[in-house]
Amino acid sequence: MGIMDRITERFTSKGSTKQPVTLDETTVLNALRVVQDPDLHKDIVTLGFVRNVKISAATGGLEGQHEVSLEVNLTTPACPVKEQLKTQCEEALMALPGVSSTKVTMTASTRGALPLNTGSPVAASLGQVKNIIAVASGKGGVGKSTTAVNLAWSLAKSGSKVGLLDADIYGPSIPLMTRLNAGATASGTLVEPPQVDGVKIMSVGMFGQGGKATIMRGPMAAAVIKQFLSQVAWGELDYLVIDYPPGTGDIQLTISQTAPVTGAVIVTTPQEVALIDVRKAISMFETLKVPVLGVVETMSHFICDGCDKKHFIFREGGGARVASEHGVAFLGEIPMDQGLVQASDEGKPYVTSHQKSPVASAFASVAGAVASQVSILHAENKNVLQHFSLEWVH
Amino acid sequence: MENIRVQDITQLDPKTLGILWTDGKKSALDVVMLRRKCPCAACIDEWSHEPRLKPEDVKDTVRPVKIESVGLYALTIHFNDGHRTGIYTFKYLRDLAPLASSGD
Repeated sequence: MGIMDRITERFTSKGSTKQPVTLDETTVLNALRVVQDPDLHKDIVTLGFVRNVKISAATGGLEGQHEVSLEVNLTTPACPVKEQLKTQCEEALMALPGVSSTKVTMTASTRGALPLNTGSPVAASLGQVKNIIAVASGKGGVGKSTTAVNLAWSLAKSGSKVGLLDADIYGPSIPLMTRLNAGATASGTLVEPPQVDGVKIMSVGMFGQGGKATIMRGPMAAAVIKQFLSQVAWGELDYLVIDYPPGTGDIQLTISQTAPVTGAVIVTTPQEVALIDVRKAISMFETLKVPVLGVVETMSHFICDGCDKKHFIFREGGGARVASEHGVAFLGEIPMDQGLVQASDEGKPYVTSHQKSPVASAFASVAGAVASQVSILHAENKNVLQHFSLEWVH
Repeated sequence: MENIRVQDITQLDPKTLGILWTDGKKSALDVVMLRRKCPCAACIDEWSHEPRLKPEDVKDTVRPVKIESVGLYALTIHFNDGHRTGIYTFKYLRDLAPLASSGD
């Protein structure tokens, strides 16, 4: 049922619409109950999104006509249906008798998990980070870092405060992909991360010498990761994106045990040999009880510049299939693009260097889907007792 | 039983565990029954799923010492007979006792 049908139904079910109704905040709120958040499956009034309702006489002095202004506070600035919700609000308000103009402002406060216990070893570093998103894959070389960078930049572009942690100790690629050339600076007992385009970045590639391998045994690597999670001044962030190393090993375990990871995004290419490892990655997160936010498929197809035909080089539909197999969301597909590879090598996040390209909009839509999944997760977990311990009284 | 989890957990009386679920339903679980229905591999055969623990093996005086969450999907009970290997998934607990609606 469309929005206009719902509006019509609401008014006709109440009898005559001609009857003069006093226009007050209650009338306005009731009218807005037809606007549903498609992800949270509730109306925006019940969800508490509507704020600062103001009703004033219409400019131009029309008798009995009013301007209604209000604010709709969403759960994330990256909300993919922001414009749709705005239009629906305006339509619902204009359908009210006595309303001649509307002013709907869309704002957002990113919802986050419960505050960390102050005794937590990561409280100083991650205490003001609302959401931690793991970008992981089973297999290497699927475009995990490219996805992490473009996800971080897409979220930042929509107005969120974002950090990017390169946890790939043995193959850090974030510094190259973001043209990061600044080092970290000390700030008290914490290390201040440098910023590129407003995104805070930390990578093992910033230390050590370029071109030289990081040679570390497991416990050393785990210690470095723990420092990134406990001694970096991440400050206030809506999203901290963590670019995981490939596989299901030591570092993945350390991160998931050290930091309160909100959810994981699994990156894969479409062919079966990659999907086998995706299933392992999903199973690892299930064991660690980190919710899987969904699957992103990269290198989905190649569009030939001679014939505009989509070539499914790594077979078709694997990402969507593995997502539905595990009952998780399919977050989107990223086509192959020579420009994306070049931009990554040159350190230009594609979503800013080629804003209008299909690949950039694919990444933006993935970012929107990730933000939606995070909001859904928080809505579902609102009443959940996350960790409990009950001593029996005898 | 997709994503139903624990909203609150309480001791209702000396031998009853109370769980308020996120869908508003409530369970009252007898702790001696919980010990007898322990799902661990020592109590229920892993392959045949035949119970290995006989009801008479558990005394009526058995009580929990401590109840703790396991990840986001289960809880574990340390009993005063020393048994503590059972992981009771929320799904299993919901199936064990009749549910009551909130406010009863």
